[in-house]
Amino acid sequence: ALLFLHPIIVNLNMDSKADMKREKKDEESGGNPYAKLDVTAVLQECRAFNETPINARKCSIILTKLFHLVQQGDNIGRTEATEAFFGVTKLWQSKDATLRRLVYLAVKVLSTISDDVIIVTSSLTKDMTGKEDAYRAPAIRALCLITDAAMLQTIERYMKQAIVDRNPAVSSAALVSSIHLMKKAGDVVRRWANEVQEAASAEGHMVQLHALALLYQIRSNDRLAVNKLVQKFAKGGMRSPFALCYLIRIAKQLIEEDDQADSAFFQFIDSCLRHKSEMVVYEAASAIVSLPNTSPSELAPAISVLQLFCSSPKPALRFAAVRTLNKVSVKHPQAVTSCNVDLEKLITDSNRSIATLAITTLLKTGAESSVERLMKQISSFVSEISDEFKIVVVEAIRALIARYPRKHTVMLPFLANMLRNDGGFEYKREIVDTLIAIVEENPDARLAGLAQLCEFIEDCEHPALATKVLHLLGREAPKTANPHAYIRFVYNRVILETTQVRAAAVSALAKIGAQCPQLRPSIEGLLKNCLLDSEDEVRDRATFYLSVLDMAPAIVNSLVLDTLQSSPAALERAAAEYVENEEAHSNKFDLKSVPVCSAPVAKKAKTLLAEEVAPAKEKKTAANATAAAAERLSQIEGLTAGLGPLFKSTLPIPLTDNVNEYTVQCSKHIFANHVILEFEVKNTLNDQLLEQVNVSLEDAEGEWKALRQRPIARLPYGEPSSIFVLLPFPQSGAVQGVLGATLNFKVKDVDPSTGEPESDDTYDDSYVLEEVELCVSDSVQPLGKASFGPAWNALEEEDTVEETFSLANVSSIHEAIKKVCGLLGLAPCERSDIVPEGRNRHVVMMSGVFRGGHEVLAKANVAIDPNDNSIGLNLLIRCSESIIAEILATAIV
Amino acid sequence: MGFFSTLSSIFGVGKKSCNIVVVGLDNAGKSTILNALRSEDTRVSQVVPTVGMTVTTFSGTGVNFSAFDMSGQGKYRNLWDAYYAKAEGIMFVVDSTDRLRLSVARDELWMILDHKDCKKVPLLILSNKSDRPDSLPVGEVSNLLGLDLMRNRPWTIQQTSAINGNGLPHSLEWLSKNIKEYMNGESS
Repeated sequence: ALLFLHPIIVNLNMDSKADMKREKKDEESGGNPYAKLDVTAVLQECRAFNETPINARKCSIILTKLFHLVQQGDNIGRTEATEAFFGVTKLWQSKDATLRRLVYLAVKVLSTISDDVIIVTSSLTKDMTGKEDAYRAPAIRALCLITDAAMLQTIERYMKQAIVDRNPAVSSAALVSSIHLMKKAGDVVRRWANEVQEAASAEGHMVQLHALALLYQIRSNDRLAVNKLVQKFAKGGMRSPFALCYLIRIAKQLIEEDDQADSAFFQFIDSCLRHKSEMVVYEAASAIVSLPNTSPSELAPAISVLQLFCSSPKPALRFAAVRTLNKVSVKHPQAVTSCNVDLEKLITDSNRSIATLAITTLLKTGAESSVERLMKQISSFVSEISDEFKIVVVEAIRALIARYPRKHTVMLPFLANMLRNDGGFEYKREIVDTLIAIVEENPDARLAGLAQLCEFIEDCEHPALATKVLHLLGREAPKTANPHAYIRFVYNRVILETTQVRAAAVSALAKIGAQCPQLRPSIEGLLKNCLLDSEDEVRDRATFYLSVLDMAPAIVNSLVLDTLQSSPAALERAAAEYVENEEAHSNKFDLKSVPVCSAPVAKKAKTLLAEEVAPAKEKKTAANATAAAAERLSQIEGLTAGLGPLFKSTLPIPLTDNVNEYTVQCSKHIFANHVILEFEVKNTLNDQLLEQVNVSLEDAEGEWKALRQRPIARLPYGEPSSIFVLLPFPQSGAVQGVLGATLNFKVKDVDPSTGEPESDDTYDDSYVLEEVELCVSDSVQPLGKASFGPAWNALEEEDTVEETFSLANVSSIHEAIKKVCGLLGLAPCERSDIVPEGRNRHVVMMSGVFRGGHEVLAKANVAIDPNDNSIGLNLLIRCSESIIAEILATAIV
Repeated sequence: MGFFSTLSSIFGVGKKSCNIVVVGLDNAGKSTILNALRSEDTRVSQVVPTVGMTVTTFSGTGVNFSAFDMSGQGKYRNLWDAYYAKAEGIMFVVDSTDRLRLSVARDELWMILDHKDCKKVPLLILSNKSDRPDSLPVGEVSNLLGLDLMRNRPWTIQQTSAINGNGLPHSLEWLSKNIKEYMNGESS
């Protein structure tokens, strides 16, 4: 009690000292004594540096405050920082060791924000070569930070001495600083290779690591030298476990980069599995399991090492082992099964992170029979682990359901239970995504899954998730036996929720209404109630759907069920252009003028079978390419005049090797009746200037003729520039073609250093490129349809083009489907591109838009003959223009 | 001033410490002079051109000096002024064999003396490299630097040779004495 009274008494009695005491108290209770620093006050205090004699203790505290401010990101003006820095330079006269080391730190901290830091160069050089070992290492670090390439020459001699110094701290400091200097003055550091080599065979463990790292940096541009480096040290001479770990990483990288890598590297990693240091053994094991294309026999020793670690008394080792096994289990579930017994023991580990990883690993590798037991285990402690690990568990369950679809009876209640418990948005989203994926891909689980989701949105605090679920309900509910059961859940949202959820609910209602004619009257009644909503968005949607629902089925299809066919960005640009252009106002805005593309969201959606191995890289999608190209082309005057809106742009395809003198990439921009070929040319010779660069195209068939061309007038070294060639589509209606391309140009020799031409003489030269191929898929924009059936039936009266092929050089149905989609340029609908395991025939539904805005639908029936593994394809194509359907059929050869 | 230093100055025990700035054109011999002033065991065998500045400590009679040895190279001369404010003495080193740049040295010297941060501290001018046969006599150096125009501050010019140490003890003694007087005058 006294303790608590204390500050109060102080407060009452001694006002002046109260603050000080409380500060002390804060410190005791773990509060940050530097929390309330003021920049100007601290800079004022810095004047104490100028006092004689120097009060070392006081200055140390002030410096610490200053560092704290800089670390916190407080802004210190350049003049103030410079003033403080010059103050710091005066502290050199103090002999206090602590203060001196703080001074080195201060030099480093202030080096970027203050002027004239170069002034301490001599002082640092003196300390670096001095007798006091404690000063030398920090002085080297500070000096290397403030020095520049020109200055480095003068301290080079000292650096060389420091690298081979007997004191490991000094040597390490010099080596690490050199690694940093590689960026500033690589060529100077490269000259120290001999000294570094010597340091690599020194005693200290850290010195060896740093020397190896620097050696690698010095040689990293030269593959052969790195090879030699690894070979040399792999033979022996590396006693430091740290350096060995680094060597393993380099060796691993070498193997990854090169398919035909020396098998000696693998043997080296393998031999490290028998090293006496656990660190090295783990590093070797984790390197082996993460290598691509390892055979089971190569994997086995690494796995058995990890298995041993699983029963280690050290939690860190157990965690590392389980985590690695967890990763391996994605790629090689078979290999991990041998560890199952050890993993089972870890389920009850007192460390929850280890237990979670153990269970999720088991879930991935375990047999179907053990799933229920494991789920029971997880549910016993799922409330005790952090969100991050809960997500790991959910991901594991997701993978599990994909493998054992029948187990959904166990999983669904479990997921629903997790959904009901507390958790962050990320975690909830992961569960909802999993549930949605189950509903979409597993027809047996649809009813149960929808029921769980309906219950979830009854009490959901995240509008984003609620709208997601409502969208799903709109799509999936009509497919169930009694859709009217879901209307209550959806309509409840209209009554109870926020605006965006209400709007989503209205859309969902309309979708159910559109697909279930028997429910339409009651849904119209509900929508009428929505007309009285307080928000515009909700009222607008209700009004729109009410008037649309009574129209013809085709209109309902396109307006209610289909998603927007163009990317929002493209639509926005087209609308903006329309508004700006006064002349266009006499016509109505034409949605067809907007480049079509499927909603990018659909592409990103993870499927149940999505591989966890490599996180999907942010790819430059064709949709982005089109939007960017439209922007770019429209800026080039007179190029796109009279061609209409851009229909599609392809991603650039290289027409030369990367290492050639001139690199050329070709991208195709498709318009309604024309195609523009863009050749992006880059000159990689620094002693040449190219002039009048153009491309001559030759078509063996004589169908394609260039209409006009926009050459590059001047192409200096290293600056890519583009040639545009405009070709009309041939009268014959052909869309395919192979064009031979040659680059013609005049060469002017230039001085490599200045880029100025040496003389006015030029000579003609040409350069043969690879052929440019125009294919059917260029004229088609893939565009997934949310509901394929109604659209397919709507085109019933049109002719159906039917073709049968037998496909060579494909080995699986999945591969065949991917290839057909690619050739036709169509997008698979309703997730029909996912082939269930073990089936030997599959129907994939595809849709897209042909240039000119004609919708194309196709059904491909792929079957594999179990006897001789040959694959047959039956293709049905429908389009409002029969000629287009025929053109598409020619795509498959 | 701290409690203990006041105490020690009352009883006259311990040494005072003071800062001096050592300036002059490049290659005048500043670092070499400071090297010669240091105690036997802290000397370095080879003196290299100073980049920026270094701090050297040495002791005179009754005073401990912290000398800020500034680089004389043209590009660093603008950094000298950061150290005038707290200096209790200035040591200006001239290369007495370099007739050509004596006028440059004069300009630099007067620029220092006219600087706003520069107080009326003792000024010691060392006419260095007297061991060389072509060195100018000290009177001529004094005239060329225009020292006769200087008022209001204690100053002296001394012929020195950093190589053989001629003149250094005497100048150090003068500096110690005058700085002590200056500091006593400041504190009283």
